[in-house]
Amino acid sequence: MTGMAMVLRGRSWLVTLAALLVLVAVNGVLQPNLFTGNVLKSNLTVFLPLVLVAIGQTYVVLAGDIDLSVGAIIALVNVVTVAVINAVGNGVGAVLLGVTAGLLTGIVSGLFNGFLVAVMRFQPIVTTFATGIIFSGMALWLLPTAGLPVPAVYWRTYSGSLLGLPVTLWIFALALLLVAILVRRPFLTHLAAVGGSRTGAFQTGLPVARIRIQGYVLAGLFSAFASLCLTGETASGDPLMGRMLALSSISAVVLGGTALAGGSGSAFGSVLGALVLGMIGNVIFFAGLPFEYQTLVQGLITLAALAGGILVARR
Amino acid sequence: MPPALKAHGVTKQFDAVVALSNGALTVEHGEIHALLGANGCGKSTLCKIIAGTVLRNGGSIEVDGAPLVPKGPADSEAAGIALFYQELSLVPQLTVAENIYLGHEPRTAAGFIDHSKLQADANALLEQFAAVAGSGLALHSLVARLSPDQRQIVEILKVLARRPRLIIFDEATAALDRRQVEFFFRMLRALKAQGVSMIFISHRLDEVFEICDRITVMRNGETVATFSTAETDMNRVVHAMVGEMAEHLHPPHVERPPGEAPRLIVEHASGQRLRDVSLMLWPGEILGLGGLQGQGQSALLRGLFGADPLASGTVSLGNMGLRLRKPADAVHHGIAYISGDRGRDAALHGRSIFENIAAASFIRERRVLVWPIRLAERFRQAAASLNTRYPGLEEPIGSLSGGNQQKIFIARWLATKPSVLLLDDPTKGIDLAAKADFFDLVRGLAAEGTSILFYSSEDAELLGLCHRILVFNGGAISAELSGQALTALNLTGAAYGNAA
Repeated sequence: MTGMAMVLRGRSWLVTLAALLVLVAVNGVLQPNLFTGNVLKSNLTVFLPLVLVAIGQTYVVLAGDIDLSVGAIIALVNVVTVAVINAVGNGVGAVLLGVTAGLLTGIVSGLFNGFLVAVMRFQPIVTTFATGIIFSGMALWLLPTAGLPVPAVYWRTYSGSLLGLPVTLWIFALALLLVAILVRRPFLTHLAAVGGSRTGAFQTGLPVARIRIQGYVLAGLFSAFASLCLTGETASGDPLMGRMLALSSISAVVLGGTALAGGSGSAFGSVLGALVLGMIGNVIFFAGLPFEYQTLVQGLITLAALAGGILVARR
Repeated sequence: MPPALKAHGVTKQFDAVVALSNGALTVEHGEIHALLGANGCGKSTLCKIIAGTVLRNGGSIEVDGAPLVPKGPADSEAAGIALFYQELSLVPQLTVAENIYLGHEPRTAAGFIDHSKLQADANALLEQFAAVAGSGLALHSLVARLSPDQRQIVEILKVLARRPRLIIFDEATAALDRRQVEFFFRMLRALKAQGVSMIFISHRLDEVFEICDRITVMRNGETVATFSTAETDMNRVVHAMVGEMAEHLHPPHVERPPGEAPRLIVEHASGQRLRDVSLMLWPGEILGLGGLQGQGQSALLRGLFGADPLASGTVSLGNMGLRLRKPADAVHHGIAYISGDRGRDAALHGRSIFENIAAASFIRERRVLVWPIRLAERFRQAAASLNTRYPGLEEPIGSLSGGNQQKIFIARWLATKPSVLLLDDPTKGIDLAAKADFFDLVRGLAAEGTSILFYSSEDAELLGLCHRILVFNGGAISAELSGQALTALNLTGAAYGNAA
């Protein structure tokens, strides 16, 4: 094995980081005011939902599963949150109650996915595809058309500042802190063990089903975080919110160096992957290319990341 | 003081099959106790029952005098019992240290993994058993990057890290070379000195006599004898494994039809579970592959079928060298493969009986388009010639019993007119009547000139059917039995590496 490949083994996020730095540099050339506070803040606001969903998706993929329903969970959480706030009456207390209801919705959705996949042994791709349709249906049933504004206190807080720093930055930092805490828990090793060798994990005595369910619950929870952020941005209910985010989150996970077969990877890599996807959009926009190119390029890059991962694994 | 383990009258039934009718075993503190017997004698079942991965139907087990009724592996583990798995419990994507302490990670007060303690513990363990582990086993390297013998060592360290009082070593030395075996034995003696008890299962009798204090022999699901190693010898142990009845039973000797030249020649075949296997198979010959389970017999058959391609070696059919990279290669050359694991290797689940018969013929004949109605008659005849009862060719394969399914898969291959038939423990899960039909059929095919390689996990089947038997031990052929030497005693002796 060459020295380069040696360094990259298990640290494939270094490639992602390098790609991110190149994209930032190109973006900086195309958009000279990139490094001003306001532009950085608005970029972060745009990227944050995908970053959060991608973190959640990582825990599912690490265990060798996949969650295609995260986009629908985002819509359902948004609709539930908005509906609860409006029903209770638009005060600060109502907002807190709505946010709690939203987070619970995310957790319950994850529990439902995890139960079907890990306990009932349904196939993960088809199962979460189906539950995604169910969650979307429930969102549309609760709120047939976009509308129902959230109170100003919600979106003002979200776009505001705390201790001189934007709230979005605090959320980003808190998410990274959560990731850092989880990395050091035995749970994450167990998750990787379940994804790496299900038989091995079972014979070692790990509670395989419970671990897989916990992965799905984390995906649901982080989708709820993403949804609450999107709600702060759009300031209203939208039953079709977040539809693109399920597939984008998987792209981000792959770009971040997590093996789709499970067993190896990191949520930190997925954060970088999500930022790369976001920066691609920026570069295409400021280079004056048509918007349609963005999805095309994202698809090609995801494919390249998959190919790269397989080439490294074959060594 | 009560013994470390006392099992008596243990029974286990899988559906209609009695795997264990009277399992008994007593292991003293600090004793290394061998458990021996031919294939299917029940030794693995007894061990799994003790380890809690299989639940018993009857009998009793006591650990240190306290009754043990495990509901799962965790209960036995709590009682201090550890079962050594062959490479199966490791996670390739995790490091050596993570694997050793998987599920038992030392934690800090905050609930995080205590990495420094993990490293220190693993280092101490590695140091304690440095003789076995050797140098070059880095704790932070991924298990995926280790050689098979290093993985075996990690597996052993993982068992030891749980500080068990009774360890079951099932073929623990299989992947180790002689030098490592010696280190391993040194470790066993060290554990023994600490009062740890061990059950030792091995296919090498010389190892058993080297390391074990006592030997318990099982036969047909029953414990038949316990010997003290110092007061017995290999011959007496082998006699106990075979039993007096079978010993005097000489199968009628059948010569293979006289042939001109060998049909299939395998030279120096090697692979993951095969070491330098060479053999010749003649037209009309039924050549048995004997030995304990998992000694390379299936690996050879699957290699010859291209299902798990051979790593090296040459295979020729007639005078033609074959390249067998995938099953289709074998099918094109008229090599057929029938496995006892029908669910994994044969059945097209949910498809009709017709489709299940026709599948191989379509490959052999390189058909692009098929006209099912015209072909139906041909396959109806193939199935009828086997005495198969089935409701209709359009019924799903799952509507048939195991025995009848197996006949359908034979029909599948007969329709391709194979010249070589590979049988991989084909009678697994088939009732006695269907077995007899099956063997008649195999004899008939051989009489018509088909060459047959036959692996069975039941010695009686091999002795009853084969013209010649190659005995496998550790991936290599350890003995060839033919003519008057074709006896149960010789077969069991050779399987355990005892010179016939």
